Formats: sequence, structure tokens, C-alpha cells
Amino acid sequence: MLHFVIVAVLVALSTFGLGSYFASGALLPEAASQQSLVIDWLFGVHGWLVAFFFSLIVVFLLYSVIVFRRRPGEQGDGAYITGNHQLEIIWTLIPLAIVLWLAVIGASTLADVERRDPNALVVDVYAAQWSWTFEYENGAITTDLVLPVNQQVLLRLHSNDVIHSFYVPQFRVKQDVLPGGPEFTRELRITPTQEGEFKIQCAELCGQLHYDMLADVMVVSEAEYLVWLDQAAGDCEGTDEQCGQRWANQFGCLACHSLDGSVILAPSWLGIAGSEEELTDGSTVLVDAEYLHRSIVDPNAQIVAGFQPNIMPQDFEERMTEEQIQQVIAFILSLGE
Amino acid sequence: MNLLSLGLVHGLIAQIAGTIFGMALVMFFRVVAGLPAWEREPVFVGGAIVGAIAFMIGVGALNDWFKWARGEKTSDDISPDPDKPNWTRFFSVDYDHKVIGIQYGVTSVLLLGFGGIFAMLFRLELAEAGITILNSDIFELILGYSGPHLYNSLMSLHGIVMIASILLGVGAMSNYLVPMLIGANDMAFPRLNAFAFWINVPGAIILLSSLFLGGFDTGWVGYPPLSLRAPLGMQMFLLGVYIVGLSSISGAINVIVTVFRLRAPGMTMMRMPIFAWAALATAFIQLTATQLIGLSFQLTMLERLLGMGFFTPDVGGDPILYQHLFWFYSHPAVYVFILPGLGVISELLPVFTRKPLFGYRWVAYSSMGIALVGFFVWAHHMFSSGMSPYLRIPFMYATLLVAIPTGVKFFSWVGTLWRGKITTPTPMLFVLGSIVIFLMGGVTGPPLGTIATDLHLHDTWYVVGHFHDTMFGGYVFPFFAAIYYWFPKMTGRKYDERLGKLHFWLMFPAFMVMTLGQIFLGMLGMRRRVADYDPALGFDPTQLLITIAGFAIFISVIIALYNLIRSARKGEVAVGNVWNSRSPEWQIPNPAPLHNYAHPFHVVGQPYDYGLQDAPYVDMDPAGTPAHS
Amino acid sequence: MADHHMTASYKERLARNRMGLWLFIISDAFVFIGLFVARVVLLPGQRPHLEQGLGLVVTTMLLVSSFFMNRAETELAHGNRAGFMRGTLITLVLGTIFLIGVVGIEWQIAPFGPADGAQGAIFYAMTGFHAFHVLTGVIFLAIVWNNGRKGHYSAEEHWAVEACAVYWHFIDVVWIFFYPALYLMGTPVL
Ligand code: HEA
Ligand code: HEA
Ligand code: HEC
Ligand code: CUA
Ligand SMILES: [Cu+2]
Repeated sequence: MLHFVIVAVLVALSTFGLGSYFASGALLPEAASQQSLVIDWLFGVHGWLVAFFFSLIVVFLLYSVIVFRRRPGEQGDGAYITGNHQLEIIWTLIPLAIVLWLAVIGASTLADVERRDPNALVVDVYAAQWSWTFEYENGAITTDLVLPVNQQVLLRLHSNDVIHSFYVPQFRVKQDVLPGGPEFTRELRITPTQEGEFKIQCAELCGQLHYDMLADVMVVSEAEYLVWLDQAAGDCEGTDEQCGQRWANQFGCLACHSLDGSVILAPSWLGIAGSEEELTDGSTVLVDAEYLHRSIVDPNAQIVAGFQPNIMPQDFEERMTEEQIQQVIAFILSLGE
Repeated sequence: MNLLSLGLVHGLIAQIAGTIFGMALVMFFRVVAGLPAWEREPVFVGGAIVGAIAFMIGVGALNDWFKWARGEKTSDDISPDPDKPNWTRFFSVDYDHKVIGIQYGVTSVLLLGFGGIFAMLFRLELAEAGITILNSDIFELILGYSGPHLYNSLMSLHGIVMIASILLGVGAMSNYLVPMLIGANDMAFPRLNAFAFWINVPGAIILLSSLFLGGFDTGWVGYPPLSLRAPLGMQMFLLGVYIVGLSSISGAINVIVTVFRLRAPGMTMMRMPIFAWAALATAFIQLTATQLIGLSFQLTMLERLLGMGFFTPDVGGDPILYQHLFWFYSHPAVYVFILPGLGVISELLPVFTRKPLFGYRWVAYSSMGIALVGFFVWAHHMFSSGMSPYLRIPFMYATLLVAIPTGVKFFSWVGTLWRGKITTPTPMLFVLGSIVIFLMGGVTGPPLGTIATDLHLHDTWYVVGHFHDTMFGGYVFPFFAAIYYWFPKMTGRKYDERLGKLHFWLMFPAFMVMTLGQIFLGMLGMRRRVADYDPALGFDPTQLLITIAGFAIFISVIIALYNLIRSARKGEVAVGNVWNSRSPEWQIPNPAPLHNYAHPFHVVGQPYDYGLQDAPYVDMDPAGTPAHS
Repeated sequence: MADHHMTASYKERLARNRMGLWLFIISDAFVFIGLFVARVVLLPGQRPHLEQGLGLVVTTMLLVSSFFMNRAETELAHGNRAGFMRGTLITLVLGTIFLIGVVGIEWQIAPFGPADGAQGAIFYAMTGFHAFHVLTGVIFLAIVWNNGRKGHYSAEEHWAVEACAVYWHFIDVVWIFFYPALYLMGTPVL
């Protein structure tokens, strides 16, 4: 009996120590959304359960190994105990009750996480290898996500190549982004509660630069948001070259094409204008506006020697306006001979 | 001894010749069909397939079946050729289950080594932020690629090679142990058994060749559409795994029939050594689920080769379908990894506590329970995949239910330890280590299972920590426990106890550091499968610690191998029942004789009645005939 | 050397073989279940554009062949070798006709190729996997027939024939599910 009392005290102590540490939230990043508050509560429950069951087994195990070890010179076998049906039933039923309860609170937490606000702000998210683009209802297209605080946002997730995943650790939720058009568009609802700047990280392996598929998300006050939105929606006012650079950034061209002559994944744009380039089929081509246009709307038509087809997205013709394409071309041409 | 007479050498030569022939064959058919002769992908795939078949013919694994097809008789006498030294048996087709078991085991450790080396390479890369060593030109020179793509390839290969290593290790344990534990002299189908082992060799070669054919950057799960765009190495991955899967299926048939039909007289199901139950449950999973990973991989191969639209939405496919097919196998597969290991734990605990296994019947049924429930939880890997939302809640319930039969095992182990007379030689240390580590892996499971928390944890390092815990606790540690425990039975010699303990006391703490680090990083939101991370996140010190711990594990395994190889030749001779066990295999000489039991024994008691006087488990000599005439 | 209990009796081996074969069939069935699921998911409410008459003919061939395979085995069990050889041969021929019908004709006349969307993928995958099994069955039949010709197998001991028959029936049962899945369920894809 004494053995059990000692073990029970140790288990209680250990559970308390570990549990209060796990449930303290010190292990998780800052909570910055409505959803994260609910989810962290469930993490807290798990923290206590993990602490208890881990302590229970480990304390019994260590205690047995230390106290019931065979002393030098000791002979004979251990106690002849083959089992105990009552105990077996108890330690089947109690965990059963616990997991059923866990499932119930798991389901209700999920319902809270997915609670819909009919007035949610809608943003279309376009994921591509390896960039993020955001399109607001008023037509603004950006590469950083800007959100008003304390308002639910409904993200509609689209991909045009492989599977990506939208994840912001501080918001706690993630959702895979599937290719394949409207039928495969998935939704994610987030209600930011903290102003600040966080990182969107692609959480599904999507090829070479997956690790670098990041974007900023800025949570700002309602007023700031409205000001920003107006600005972002405004048409590009500037020279063609300036606008071209903006589009190149926005549509993610610069994820693959550098401006300084280095090769990220694709030919650098520095100094290609006017040059003679070799193609994979051995022929050469003069890089002029016409060739650049073809390269953008039909990338596979001519492949630059040393590079692979099918890397560059094929849908820029649909996603960009003709004017935007022309401005990008102007920008590339401005990068000099 | 002429090396050329070894089956393995024949097989390898045949595989090379077969590969070339297969490539030529594909080119020939392409010309006939009016296509350009050369296209890398179909030509290489055709070559690999024909090469694998050629290996099996060359090694001689199909000889007897060819004879049957021609209507010729084959000999059932499996006695080795007395003119050849004993070691050659391990390098040629041999029908003895003990030889096959050891063949499986050695191949498994070899693959563990490959997987480990890949891990060490990418661990060096992760030790600090920034892409460092993998950018080296050496890799560009040898492999033709480097940088992040190399990281992805090494990481993916690490995962799948380790899993293949586990599957072979499971084969090693069930082949070596099941017949001996249940009193049979061999498996039910010795030829199928040899086939199941040898097919792994070309499979592993093809799998590893992917590193040299452009690699593949999809992780071990190979999700399309990414896997449809990956380089040629992808095909070698798909094909290699498919071939290893064939081994699982044929091995499973053998184990099931052996357990059901070859038990010694008097050995009812409830009197079997508990490992046999574990092996049986494992075999049921392998038998059925494996087909679906095979199917999903074949469909991916076909989509790549012929453009068939299974998984690409633009041409009518559905990427989620792949994930369902894949996880329908790959979740149950994780129970394939652990059930034999948990069986080893249950098998060894009574010996080293000198107490009966607490609640034998419950432990036996819990293996079946885990296997059964394991079939209904696969979609918990897909909570955030965008599958039909209705599936999530039912799969959450099913997932959490697995905790119950697993819990039964833990409680029974604790019950067995309680008031025992515990000794802790190396195998027992590994058993105790397994329990603690597997517990860590187990209790980190439910937070993944309740959907809302998984939305945060999915595809983070928390998952990485979870499954290294479960796989080391459920497989790697028990596997080493089994090797040390049955080492005298396999070799007739004792291993070095001091080196064995050193192995444990290096590996156990290092492993704790490694996975605790992984779990903490994951909680903070570090994503899986990233070649690099932002230094601003402050993950560097933990990552460095994980790398150091990983190397410590690597070194500890080298110490173990040194110990085992040296002891197999120079160790102290081990006579008789080394561990004073009740199990039948310890009642026969070391190493186990060619035909395990000179005559069938009778089971007269319970397997684990330690502490009960005069209650033997087996009567080795029921007819009273003099043993070993 | 070889002790009596080391080589099992024919009866015992038969029991093992039967169990092994059934396990194999259970295992193999999962491939076809997987394909069936893929079909339902990718082509809900639709079916590929196929030649109905041909489908009916090949299906009949396969169903009838199963009958002859059954005859072959029963004849042999009753000691009628000629009947056994005849049944095997007819099964073999019908199986070959099935293969020609599906691979040789339907594959050629189908108005779509394997790369043409979900219907191409599903149709060629389902018939292809099945045809591969029929092909192995036909080879098995040829082996059995050839060995029968050499005078092997007796009324009491003919495991290979039994295995061949069970395998053949299994292939047939699979087609019983695949035929409606391909030819009858849903409306034709446009
Ligand atoms: C050996 C392998 C193994 C084992 C045994 C397990 C066991 C479990 N796993 Fe794990 N798992 C993996 C290997 C394994 N897993 C791998 C490889 C992956 C990642 C694959 C990839 O993406 O690459 C993974 C991923 C994975 C996921 C997906 C995560 C994600 O990607 O989002 C989930 C989600 O539910 C999960 C859950 C569980 C659960 C609930 C158990 C349960 O079986 C655990 C049950 C055990 C216990 C709970 C402890 C003992 C029980 C008690 C003491 C009783 C009382 C306890 C309670 C009442 C809580 N696992
Ligand atoms: C059995 C399975 C197993 C084992 C043992 C290991 C062992 C190790 N694993 Fe692995 N791991 C996986 C299975 C396994 N892993 C899987 C499935 C993945 C997922 C992949 C994916 O995401 O797709 C993964 C992913 C994974 C990651 C995540 C990568 C990422 O997401 O980016 C990391 C990172 O630290 C890691 C590290 C390690 C380390 C340091 C070890 C160390 O313990 C290794 C130590 C070395 C050994 C144990 C080998 C020792 C052997 C010898 C010394 C023999 C040498 C001699 C001969 C050649 C004969 N692993
Ligand atoms: C995912 C990577 C990727 C993205 C994003 C991408 N490209 Fe490319 N691009 C490539 C690759 C690879 C090539 C070389 C192969 C080829 O010629 O098609 C290429 C080639 C080109 C060329 C021809 C370059 C030359 O040297 O002849 C132009 C012009 C071009 N891209 C423009 C764009 C524009 C404009 C965008 C964005 C609107 C863009 N690319 C986005 C990968 C990318
Ligand atoms: Cu996009 Cu990873
Ligand atoms: Cu799982």
C-alpha cells in the first residue's frame, strides 16, 4: 500500500509541474486571432492530459525499476500476478470516457474556429510557385496582405500549379491551397485581434523554393486599412517602367527572375534586352518586345538554353491585363542591353 | 571461394544486363509505334522494371517456380550445400527462415545507414540558418544538382529509406522469430519467403538510384501535382517503393498461414508467445493496405508516363483522391512499424521482471484492436487538406479511439513491472527506453487528432517530433532490444555488455534532446520540409542542438554495429538458456540448429508463468525419445 | 536427415496453399476496390463512351469461361481427364477472346485515348489492370493445360488446377463489378 501512496504523490507532483508548464502557453507563439484563443484553450486541455498520462506511466516505471530491482545475491522470481480483469476494464473505460470527451470538445472547438461572420471581408489569395498574391474586392492586387483588426476575413484560396498551404503561426490555422479552378477553391476564415506584422508561410512542400514562399501580413486599425485600400486600388500612376516593376513584383516574377544578373530559377532580366539568346533547340533569338511578349503569355513556346520548360506559370495572359504586360516589357527593356 | 558463384552477384549482374535490355526494349517499341526512340523517362522506367525482374531470375529466387510451371518436381530438402562455407548461404537464395530473417535484418541495417547518412547531411544544413553546405559544388559535380532541391531530395529519401528499413526490420523479426516461437521448423511457404526478401534488393537499388537521376522533392508522401512535375528520380522512388510493397504483401501471406497452420501441438492461440500475435496483426495490415499505396503510386507513374488524368484537376483528376489512397495505406503502415516492436517489449518484459505478462489476453487483443481501428483513421493526415469537411469529425473520433488499445498495452507493461525482480541488461534497457519514448510519441498524438489543434500543428516540426518518437520508441529501440536479446540465438556468442550499455546511454538521451527540440520548434510554428529558415526566428540554437544529438545517435549505432560484428566472431560462447527464459527457442542449442526442433514439442502451460513453480510452458521431449540423435 | 515432421503431408500442404491463395485474393481485391473508388470519385454520374455491343460480348465470354473452368475442375476431380483438358482449353480460348475484345478492339476504337481526361484515365486504368490479371490467368491456364497434357494431376492431387480455377473465378467476379461500372452506370461523358 505504501508503494501506491508514494507513487500517487509523485504522479501528482509531476503532473502538476509539467501540466502547469505545458498549459501556460509558453510553448506557443503569440496568439493574434480570435481562432487562436479558442485553439489555445484546447491546447491547454491537452497539456494537462499529456502531463498526467506521461507522469503516470513514467513514474510507475521508474519507481518499479528502482524499488523492485533485483538486489545482489537475490534469487527467485517476482510476484505471480497474471492480470486483473477489473483493472483492465477500468483502464479501458476511463481513457474511453476521456477520449470521447476530448472528441466532443474537439468538435465544438472546431465549430468555434470556423464560425462564420456574414459580413466578412473577402480576399482572393493566389498561391503560385513560389509567391503569394492577394486580390481585394475593389480590385486592388498586392503581394502583402493587409487586414483590419477585429474583423473576420474570408480568404478564398486558389493555386495555379501545385498544392500550397496558407499558414500564419500567430493565427494558428492553416488551409491547403489546391490547384484546379473554382471546384477546388477552399476557404479560410480568420479574425485578427492583434495589430502588428506577421509572416504568411507556405506550409505544404511545393518544390524547390518552398522554404522561401513567404509573405507579410499586416494587421492595422480599421481606419488605416481603409486608407490603404484606396491607395492600393488606385491604378498605377507613374512611368511605364515604374508600373512594370510594380507588376513584376506583384505577380511574383521576381521570385524567379533577378534584376542583378544572378540566376534564381530563371534567366535574370538584367541586360537581356536587345541581346541574342540561345534556345534549347539550338537556335538563337533576338530579345525584343515581341519576343518578350511571347515569353510571358506562352512561356513554353521558346525555352532559353539551360532552363526547363513548365517552370514558369502559363496563365499570366489571363491574370494580367495587356497594359500590365506591356508595362512589364517596358520595364525589362529598361534594364538595358 | 568464388564470388561469382554467389546468388547476389548473379542477381546484380543480371539486373544491370536486364536494365540495359529493358531500355533497349522500350526504345524498340517506341520506334515500332512511330515515336522517337529516346525519351528519358519511359526508357529508364522500362529498364528499371526489366532490371528488377532480371535480378530475381539471376539470383535464382524464381527457379523452383519455373520448374513447377514446367511440371517438374522440386526438392523440399533445404539442407545447405556442405561444400560451401556457411556464410555463402546469406548471399544466395536460401529457404531457411533463420537465414532469411538475418538477410532481412542486415539489409535493414544497411538501409538504416543510408537513411542515417542522408539525415546527417541535411542536419548539417539545418544546423544554422542560410543555405550552406548543400550549396557546395561537390554535389553539383556528383549529382548534377545542389541547394534547396538537394535538401528536399535528401529529406524525402531519408524518410522513405528509413521506412523501407523499418519494413525490412519487421520482416527480419517476424521471419526469424515467428516459426521458432510457435514451434515450426520453417515458414509455411519457404520459396515465397525467399522471394519476399530478395525482391527488396532490386527495389532498394532502384529507390536509391533516384538520388542520381535528379532526385525528387516531394517528401516521402509524393503528393501530386508536385510529384507529376518532379524530375526522373520521382519515378525511381515510386517504382522502388512499389517493389518493396510486393515484399510486404508476400511476407504477410506467409506469416498469417504460418501462425494459423504451423503451431506446435497444444499451442492454442491464447498460448502463443505474444510476439506471434503482434506479427499476425501486422501481417493483416500489410496484406490489405499495402495494395493501395501500390495503386496510388502506379497511377502516379502512369499519369507521368502517359498523361492519364488521375490527379491533375486541369485534365479531370483530383489531387485529394491521391491523398486518400496514399494514407489508406500509410496510416495503417505506422502500426506495421510499431506492432512488432510492441510485441518485443511484451515478450521481453516478463523475462527481465521474472513475472507473468500482466493481462496477456488484453495485450493480445489490443494488437488486433490497434490494427482494426487503424484502418479507419487515415484522413487525420488530411484535416487541412481541403477534403470534404464532413469527413473530419468522424475521423477525429476514430483517431482518438486508438489511444485506448495502446493505453491497454502501456498499463499492462506497468503492471508487469510492478513488484517484479527487475534486472537491466542491455535488452531490458532498450525495452524501458522504448516504453518512455513511445509514450512521448503516443501522448503527442491526441493533440494532432483533435482537428482544431492540428490546424496549427499540421506540417510543422511538432509532427516530425511526434513520429520520430513513435517510430524510435515503437520500432528502433525494440529492434535493438531484439537484436541484443536474440543475438546468442543467432550467433551462438554473447555481445559485449559494456558496449551495449554505452550504446543505450548515448542513444537514449541524445534521442530525447533531438525530438524534444523538434516538438518545441514545431509548437512555435516551424514548418516541416524547409531547406532554410529565417534567422530572425531564433531557431538556430535548437537546430544546432538537434544536429549534435543526431550525430550522437549515429555514433551510438556505429558502436552497436562494432559490438555486434566483433562479438559475432570473437564473443564469449553462449551456452544454453542465456536469459533463463521459458520460451521454446531457448530450450534448443545456440545457434539454433538447421531444423529448429528435432521433434515437435508439446505446449503444456502458459507462456509467461514466471514465479509459478513446476509449471513449464513446453515439453520439449513429449515422446521421451533422446533428443538430438 | 529429413525428419518426418519436416515435410508436411499433401493434405496439410493443400490446406496451407488454399489459405495462402485466399489471402492473396483478399489482398488483390483491394487494388480493384481502389480503382472502383477512383472511378466513382472522378466520374460521378458519368461513364465513358464505349461500344455497348462489344462490352456485352466480352462480358458473356468471360462469364461463360468461368463455367467451363468449373467444369474442367469437376471433371478432373471425377477422374475424367479428357473433360478436364477440354474445359481448360475452352476457358483459355474464351479468355484470349476477352483479351482481344478489350485490348485489341475496344482500346483501338474508343473515341478517346488514355490522356483524354478522367474518362480516358479511368477506362484505360480499370480495363488495363483487369486485362493484366486476365493475361496472367491465361498464362496460368496454358501452364495447367500443358502440364495436364504431360499427364500431371490426378483426381486426388491437383492443387494447381484448383488454384487456377479459383484465380480465374476471381478475375471473373472483378469484371462483374467493372462491367457495369464502365458500361452501365451513369450517362455517357460528352
Ligand atoms: C510508428 C508510428 C506512429 C504511431 C504509433 C502513431 C500514433 C498516433 N498518431 Fe501519428 N504519425 C506518424 C506515425 C505514428 N503515429 C507519422 C509517420 C506521421 C506523419 C506522416 C507524415 O506526414 O509524414 C504521423 C502523423 C500523425 C497525424 C497527422 C499530423 C499532421 O500531419 O497534421 C496525426 C493526427 O491525428 C497523428 C495522430 C496519432 C495518434 C492519435 C496516434 C495514437 O495511436 C497514439 C496512441 C497512444 C497514446 C495516446 C499514448 C498511450 C495511451 C495512454 C497512456 C492511454 C490514455 C491516453 C489518453 C486518454 C489520451 N499522427
Ligand atoms: C525509422 C525512421 C526514421 C529514423 C530512424 C529517423 C532518424 C533520424 N531522423 Fe528522420 N524522418 C523520418 C523517419 C526516420 N528518421 C521520416 C519518415 C521523415 C519524414 C520525411 C518527409 O517529411 O517526407 C523524417 C524527417 C526528418 C526530419 C525533418 C526534415 C524536414 O521536415 O525538413 C529531420 C530533421 O531533423 C529528421 C532527422 C532525423 C535524424 C537526425 C535521425 C537520426 O536518428 C539518424 C541517426 C542515424 C541512424 C539511426 C543510422 C545509423 C546507422 C549507421 C551508423 C550504420 C552505418 C553503416 C552502414 C551503412 C551499414 N528526420
Ligand atoms: C516559377 C518561376 C517563374 C515565374 C514566377 C516567372 N517566370 Fe519567367 N521564366 C521562368 C523560366 C524557368 C524561364 C526560362 C525558360 C523559358 O524560356 O521559358 C523564364 C523565361 C522568361 C522570359 C524569357 C527570358 C529570356 O531570357 O529570354 C521572360 C521575358 C519571362 N520569363 C518573363 C516573366 C514575367 C513577366 C513573369 C511574371 C509576370 C515571369 N516571367 C514569372 C520562370 C518563371
Ligand atoms: Cu508553396 Cu510550399
Ligand atoms: Cu496516421
